[in-house]
Amino acid sequence: MKDLDDLSLTHPPDALLIQAADDELSTAGAAAIDSHLAACQACKRRYQALRQVSAGIESALAASPIDFSFEQRARLERQLEARARIAPIAAPSHLLRRLSSAVAIAAALAFALLYVPHWSRSLKTAGPVPARLPSAFEVDGESFVALPYSNPDLPLNASHIVQMQVPVSSLADAGIVFEPISNEMSSPDRSVLADVLLGMDGRPLGIHVLNAE
Amino acid sequence: MDRADILPLPSTAWKADYLEDTSVRRLVLEQYDRESLPLRRYLQFLGIDPETAQEVVHEAFLKLHQHLLADGDRTNLRAWLYRVAHNLGRNTQTAFRSSRTDALPDLTVNGDLPSQAASIEQELLDAERNRLVRAAIHRLSAAQRDCLVLRAQGFKYREIAEVLNLSISTVGENIQRGLEKLKELL
Repeated sequence: MKDLDDLSLTHPPDALLIQAADDELSTAGAAAIDSHLAACQACKRRYQALRQVSAGIESALAASPIDFSFEQRARLERQLEARARIAPIAAPSHLLRRLSSAVAIAAALAFALLYVPHWSRSLKTAGPVPARLPSAFEVDGESFVALPYSNPDLPLNASHIVQMQVPVSSLADAGIVFEPISNEMSSPDRSVLADVLLGMDGRPLGIHVLNAE
Repeated sequence: MDRADILPLPSTAWKADYLEDTSVRRLVLEQYDRESLPLRRYLQFLGIDPETAQEVVHEAFLKLHQHLLADGDRTNLRAWLYRVAHNLGRNTQTAFRSSRTDALPDLTVNGDLPSQAASIEQELLDAERNRLVRAAIHRLSAAQRDCLVLRAQGFKYREIAEVLNLSISTVGENIQRGLEKLKELL
């Protein structure tokens, strides 16, 4: 910076004094300004006047009467939860993201009305049965096995139920183990049809295995 | 159901997604707790009415959430937020770019109730001083005002350049000219 080379002879312009005050100069530049200000009262007064104007702006800005809105924060938190990626347990995530709440609820209701009796029968008569069940709960008369990370304190009545294919390996990791009924059953690619209960935040809360593939 | 509909990801991917969602939400809310008030203050100081400023800031944080979920750059989220809020505010309200001093919020005595008459007097003097500074700032060019207010929020020149999409040297010039003009006005 050529202006800094001859500071001992000339007075630094406002631009350099401001940059020095803003800590925007190199170490050498800042040192040159400091030494000049120590020796030149006229520049020191100029420097202080500029600092005073800056402090006036900061003071006026800080004095703006604004209160933190907890209501706004809660609104933001709700919206963030609603917009979070829906954690996929089985269905492609892009498919789940497109499911609006209304469609998901309507589909779940229609599905439940049409097929609940059939599911009950199929569970009793065919398909694999979980050999080890973690804690379970009921939503709209349907039993769900609680999944890891699910929060039991969340209200369940506003949840969505989505039917999907779930890899057996995912279920095993969630603590639901199937007894192999054939060699095919132990294949890592094996999947089962299940209703997945999605919480208000889009996370899977529970699962109801409907039938093997 | 077609085999292609079966998600091939193992369950660890689901957990990773969940943990990522949670950490992004937490990060957005941390930023909100830290930056929402200064951001609203910044927008209001530039002439945006309080309700609009509140909505603009809210929208900026929703955009931050999208940005983070899309693995956007996290190196300077504060500057990112100001840039987005600044642009949203500019698009929302034409008054943002005008010099309407009558749009400024009234100054009220801030803080705890003063216990002595001297402190009341001092506060009134401060309030009057602040009002004069505000009026003077609104006589600057929009670029000078933006740069000075961001500087007063503690941003470095390179960050101001990033927020306002200017070169660093232009930021320096705006700050210098703005301060010199304010010195004359006050």
